[in-house]
Amino acid sequence: MEILQYALRKLLAGLPLILGVTLVSFALMVYFGPDMTYQLLGKNPTPEQILEVRQQLGYDQPFLQRYLVFLGEIVTFDFGVASTGEPVATLLAKTIPVSLILILPGFILGHVVGLLLALAAAYWRGSWPDKLIMAVAVIGMSVSFLIVIIGFQIVLSSSDGLDLFPVRGWNASSLGNYLSYVTVPTLATMFVALGYDTRFYRSVIVEEMTRDHVRTSRAFGLPESRILLRNILKNCLIPFITRVMFSIPQVAIGGALLIESYFGIPGIGKATYEAIVTGDQPVLKAVVSLTAILFVLVVVLNDILYRVVDPRVTLK
Amino acid sequence: MDQAPTTLDPVQGSNIYANFVIVNAYDTLYSYQYLARPYLLKPNLAVDFPVVSPDGLTYTIRLKKGVRFVDDPCFADGRGREVVADDFIYSLKRQFDPENQPQGAWLWQGRIAGLDEWKAAGSDYAQPVTGLRAIDDHTLEIRLTRPYPQLTATLAQGYSALVPREAVEKYGKGLGVRPVGSGPFRLVSYDTARVVMERNPNYRQEPVDLAAEGYNPATQRFSGVEALQGRSPPFVDRLEFNFINESSASWSSFTKGDEVQLTVLPIEQIDRVLASKRPVTLRPEYAARYHVYGGLEAGFVFTAFNMDYPDFGYNPDPERERRNKTLRCAMIKGYDWEARNDSWYFGLGEYFPGIIVPASPEFDPSLSRASVTRDVAGARKLLQDNGWTAENLPTVVYGTTAGTTERLFFEQFRAWLRDIGFPREKVVQKTYANFGDISRAWKKSQLPLVAKGWGLDYPDAENTLQLFYGPNASPGSNDANWKNPEYDRLYEESSVMQPSPERTALYHRMNQIVLDDCVAITGISRTRIYLWHKNVIAVPDREILGGFWLKYVDLLPEPAVSPTLAKGG
Repeated sequence: MEILQYALRKLLAGLPLILGVTLVSFALMVYFGPDMTYQLLGKNPTPEQILEVRQQLGYDQPFLQRYLVFLGEIVTFDFGVASTGEPVATLLAKTIPVSLILILPGFILGHVVGLLLALAAAYWRGSWPDKLIMAVAVIGMSVSFLIVIIGFQIVLSSSDGLDLFPVRGWNASSLGNYLSYVTVPTLATMFVALGYDTRFYRSVIVEEMTRDHVRTSRAFGLPESRILLRNILKNCLIPFITRVMFSIPQVAIGGALLIESYFGIPGIGKATYEAIVTGDQPVLKAVVSLTAILFVLVVVLNDILYRVVDPRVTLK
Repeated sequence: MDQAPTTLDPVQGSNIYANFVIVNAYDTLYSYQYLARPYLLKPNLAVDFPVVSPDGLTYTIRLKKGVRFVDDPCFADGRGREVVADDFIYSLKRQFDPENQPQGAWLWQGRIAGLDEWKAAGSDYAQPVTGLRAIDDHTLEIRLTRPYPQLTATLAQGYSALVPREAVEKYGKGLGVRPVGSGPFRLVSYDTARVVMERNPNYRQEPVDLAAEGYNPATQRFSGVEALQGRSPPFVDRLEFNFINESSASWSSFTKGDEVQLTVLPIEQIDRVLASKRPVTLRPEYAARYHVYGGLEAGFVFTAFNMDYPDFGYNPDPERERRNKTLRCAMIKGYDWEARNDSWYFGLGEYFPGIIVPASPEFDPSLSRASVTRDVAGARKLLQDNGWTAENLPTVVYGTTAGTTERLFFEQFRAWLRDIGFPREKVVQKTYANFGDISRAWKKSQLPLVAKGWGLDYPDAENTLQLFYGPNASPGSNDANWKNPEYDRLYEESSVMQPSPERTALYHRMNQIVLDDCVAITGISRTRIYLWHKNVIAVPDREILGGFWLKYVDLLPEPAVSPTLAKGG
């Protein structure tokens, strides 16, 4: 009951955040975003045709009125029709699942492998395994994501390389097809994410390992595995949860623009990028709103998880 | 292809990407001969060329009988009904209905009797248009307000594709992702990464006559198209368009065999792949696997001076206006087309004087090349003789979209201007987020220089000459906002003339006026290098023929590629 009350309270408190994010984003779209009028005009437009298109797009309406319409769309979850003619809801329903199953393997593996490597590095802190892992992590962080993608594509997929996987495209009609198409994007994502994740987890673990209670446990002669699991990792859970949870909106809505573009995957990242470039406001409004709402939900869930892993945390 | 279409509704099919799909999903009354170069029109859904009245104002067009739209739930019994003349009238009306945000109306605006009035009266589809009449289900009459020699060519454009009313009423704007036409293919799926189409099983049987398609054995036998003689397209069961913006991914995918045809060879692969540029030939390891063809663009790239800017163009002071012309002429002399061609177009482009492009039938190869030959000393002298100094030269604002390539374009342009005496700080770049934003600046006459490309809508120099017609000034296509009474008079005179030596002579005079007035730095037509696998029978094109060639693609039986699969890359 306490958790439910807290969740409702936080959700209500999240409303100003949603309003703020949508207001700022909408202002940016209206005053600084691409003007779609001139992409929708023919080659030899007249002033009347320009006016007609602006009216069709609603650009002739006052800002406040347009923003209120936007808020109405958020409440009804009806963002209208994308520039392709497809309802935005259909577009999201098509693209978000693709992005989710595309990004999730890399997301999960990145965190799990990153944690394992961080544990190893922390355990052998200062010795060569630590230095090796950290050196590789820095390389992963330093190399441009673009280069990583192109490199993996050439080495693993192209006829000049190992030719093991499709160069690009998407087919999740069977597990075999899915694994075939998701492997290279996942490896590329992991390669870059591992560097950041490993460094982050290592620093948290190392900090925890130097605390008094860990030293005391060792003095009492507790086995290292028990110290690791109960004294170190358990106390690291709060920063771990924070890092994982706050990545979720990005995974769910942001997708992976570069991955989706280079691998020709019709996910939400690619759709969002194209909407930004063309000024397709119905799609942009939907993505901005969903991201803000998801962010609020994540904050609530995050706080609840804090309480679950650490009873000292109060939900007030 | 390097970009995805934004919609598949013919009413907004303004770019090559959309048109590639649209002309395969829908029928147009006319299309182009598959193999003829220069491009030549041919009847498509029409039985023959229009019967034109002696005054050139009435076109009578007969439609083929028995052509059906694809089966779709929008039809009463789910079975595609017959295509009739009223479908054309309805489709053209859609271009004049603001609700559709149409992009093709400019082709018929002020040309077809009653169409503009129909729009002004509220675009009520129940109301007739005086200039559009279905004499019967298979005979169409178009009445014009004045002769329009390019009318037949406009009826080969995706904009004029025949759309069934039932589909519009059922799907509304959703027609943009769900075409319902009578073309050789029907849509299976469409997303930002690819379009998949399958053979339209009801497509009419029309055996290929290579002679009628303009086949030239001397230059086209290598493609294997002779195997198509007497057979009815389409030849493949499935057509896939993969939209790959990234050239490295595009190249890897093509060389692996995921696409059977690569639209344009990436610039970074040129030295690796080509053995020679003139003629375009492949290195042996690639020649063993691919066909190659270097096709000249049906369009051009040019930079117009915006005459609205008193620093370069029209000025209340006649003396300053005279000096402005010398300034423009000097900038043209300082422009290095050869370097531009070598830097950006592999040295394969064709730069030419004036605005009549080599792909136009009216192109004049004998025209003096002085305006495209760099003359730095001449430019400096011209500036000096007319009182231009580093201090009084105006600031040149060069607008581009944001991007590395665009920045390099600008730096190169600035270097050329510095060679003729412009101080570095007087040549500045102004960047815009995307094409829509820079288009807005052009249409609002906010940039002194307009650097852009233009693709021909039809093979007639009128299509580029209208770019400098006074009444087409901003927001129209005359971004130069140039108004020359003599030019405008000649344009109006020629615009109602059928193709003839007399009309060509008028075109050449207009071209010369543009050159004499130094109103644009022009121009170059780029060469596109098409590659396709050896087991594919095709002559690719992405110019005026556009997607019409895809129904003629066939595959040789070869184990490496499924004979039922063709992918347009």
